[in-house]
Amino acid sequence: MQTKKIPHPGWNLEYMMWMFTRLSGLAFFFLAIIGMAAALVMGARNQMDLGTLMRWTFFPNPNHVLDSNIPNVDIWANGFWQIMQMLVIFFGGTHGLNGLRVVIEDYTSRPAWQSITRLLFFVLWIFMILAAVYVILAS
Amino acid sequence: MQVKLTIFRYDPENDKKPHFDKFTVEAEPTDRVLDLLEYIKDYKDGTLAYRRSCAHGVCGSDAMRINGVNRLACKVLVQDVGTTLKVEPILGLPVQRDLIVDMEPFFDHYKSVIPYFVGSEEMPQKEQLQSPEDRERFDDTTKCILCGACTTSCPSFWANGNYVGPAAIVNAHRFIFDSRDQAVVERLKILNDQFGVYRCHTIFNCTDACPREIQVTQAVGEVKKAIATARLD
Repeated sequence: MQTKKIPHPGWNLEYMMWMFTRLSGLAFFFLAIIGMAAALVMGARNQMDLGTLMRWTFFPNPNHVLDSNIPNVDIWANGFWQIMQMLVIFFGGTHGLNGLRVVIEDYTSRPAWQSITRLLFFVLWIFMILAAVYVILAS
Repeated sequence: MQVKLTIFRYDPENDKKPHFDKFTVEAEPTDRVLDLLEYIKDYKDGTLAYRRSCAHGVCGSDAMRINGVNRLACKVLVQDVGTTLKVEPILGLPVQRDLIVDMEPFFDHYKSVIPYFVGSEEMPQKEQLQSPEDRERFDDTTKCILCGACTTSCPSFWANGNYVGPAAIVNAHRFIFDSRDQAVVERLKILNDQFGVYRCHTIFNCTDACPREIQVTQAVGEVKKAIATARLD
């Protein structure tokens, strides 16, 4: 059978979050690789323990290497890494919260409960993003 | 050899709640579980209720849980499941009596996905031929006998009966990938829903349960991919 284009069956929350889950999984992978590469450039191989390396890899915040032997952490405290942290929080947090929403919706069949659950998750998601942005900008 | 069977029993007219009855029967290793049930019904307890029709793995009537796994009683040999058997009705559908469940919710989901061929509106003037390659594309999903073993092995279906279930998706797949069918987008719209393909979390219970060895999870994945990419590969 040859590849055949068909009209798109439509956009909805389930479809968008299904796509997002897959793309954010990939994004998280690449973000972690960038974080780890930067940590190695920073001198992680000789001047960081494994825990510190992992903290920087998955959430590249300069506070995470303050207690390491990296000589100058200040040059790593810049806008680029703040954006990286926000991307990690956005992709990771949204991916995780959506996963929790899917698990709960597996067990809820009443539309009213679904609306309440979705509203609750939306509020939680906004709060999480705002709190994370505040912590990132304040640190 | 002697086979010990523990069988789920429930008679809504006489039982307040379900219970299990134990039977011991003589059997050959090559006997099928259905043969044992037939023996019990004929010689030990005529009130035992279960569905069976062709008894040769074609009609799909006798799907049941044998030692915790969905199987067709007419296809499972004693030598493959051992001499101690626990036989229960399939999960996720209301039990009507003993091993008989109400299949209506299952068939309602099946009917919801337009499980039949939709041709072009104009009456074709000649036979609609299909190449062997195009026919091969959906060959696997033509094998479904609607026994319900896949859908009733799915935890998403146990958790939420609104989910259409793998059997309905398999039967939609059979027509979605048919090069002659004209209702592909309608079917994909039905399955692009909260209770469509997105309740499938690819745990493969359905593939393990299918007595026809259909690659059910793969079929569900192909439908997901068709929705995501708006392409039929």
